[in-house]
Amino acid sequence: MEKLMILNGSPRAPRSNSKEYAAIFAEACSLPTETFAITPKNHLELCSRMEGFSQLLLVFPLYADGIPVPLLSFLKTLAAHPPKKKPVISVLINCGFIEWQQNRLAVEMVKLFCTQQGYVFGSALMIGSGEAILKTPFRFLAERGIRKLAASIQRHQYRTFHTTMPLPKKLFIRASTNYWLAMGEKNGVSKEQMETMKIE
Amino acid sequence: MKLILSDHSLSLPPEQEDIRYIDLSGLKIANCVGCFGCWTKTPGRCVIRDDATRVYPLIAQSDQLLYVSRIFCGSYDVPMKTMLERAIPIQQAFIRIHHGETHHVQRQVVPKKAVIVGYGASSPQEEALFRQLIARNTYNMAMEETEVICCEESQVEAIVKERVEAWKN
Repeated sequence: MEKLMILNGSPRAPRSNSKEYAAIFAEACSLPTETFAITPKNHLELCSRMEGFSQLLLVFPLYADGIPVPLLSFLKTLAAHPPKKKPVISVLINCGFIEWQQNRLAVEMVKLFCTQQGYVFGSALMIGSGEAILKTPFRFLAERGIRKLAASIQRHQYRTFHTTMPLPKKLFIRASTNYWLAMGEKNGVSKEQMETMKIE
Repeated sequence: MKLILSDHSLSLPPEQEDIRYIDLSGLKIANCVGCFGCWTKTPGRCVIRDDATRVYPLIAQSDQLLYVSRIFCGSYDVPMKTMLERAIPIQQAFIRIHHGETHHVQRQVVPKKAVIVGYGASSPQEEALFRQLIARNTYNMAMEETEVICCEESQVEAIVKERVEAWKN
């Protein structure tokens, strides 16, 4: 019987958007799923637990144009300690920018990992404006994309999907600025302080 | 200022006033935890007070950069990627349109000429992906000109020395 393992590769896994994306996916997927956060200390345990799963979904944010370090480190461990039966690997990635296309390179990196290490690459969902979309009226677009991703994995009809907030860039920037100003205000930090040009 | 940031120990001539060499293998740098403290709590300063806080100001101040990194999955390998992720205090939270895409506003970051030496790629496909990554970095890391050199690990030392000599002349 098919089982799907979800790995959260976000640097802030316990309180990340990726955690919420993973939960929405688990709800939308008819396969039995188990979700794990990647931590610096559980790589070998995750490699060993992967034995029981036919599908693997990597959920992570774009970091510095690529795969974030927690997941990158884990992939190195996985390369050295592969399961006997390798699952099909799919990706659910989000970035804070409005262009979902900025996620492409990180997906290509996972595809390359699959090619190099003998895994089948499955489906991918690339979400733009992923830092905020779940807290806006456009949440349904992310949920719809996740449902499509889940269906494609269940049916073994692997595809690549994408979504983002359907806003003009200037409006997105205004909304994003307000989002960050509210975060600063919570910490008692003003716009002027956040705009400092000083480093250290 | 010129900065050499490397995950590969290099035997270089003694440091000159305007050339700084940082061997990442000798530093203690934790990975970014995505707290956004450097944007919304202590703007411009990372809340994790380890060796990275000495490095990202140098990245910001440099007008010429030489990065040396092993390539893994078409990406910088973990040591260099860890450092670059920890360098986000040099950006603001706020977004702007840059080259037609949304990107973060930079703080006081000098525009750079960058040479990126990536070693250990296992295939032309991996090299091509690494080159695409550097092309993306140009938008997010204030790199105005980049040159990417993909090579074997055994060639790194000679390539770096040649570049440092070129800087001196």
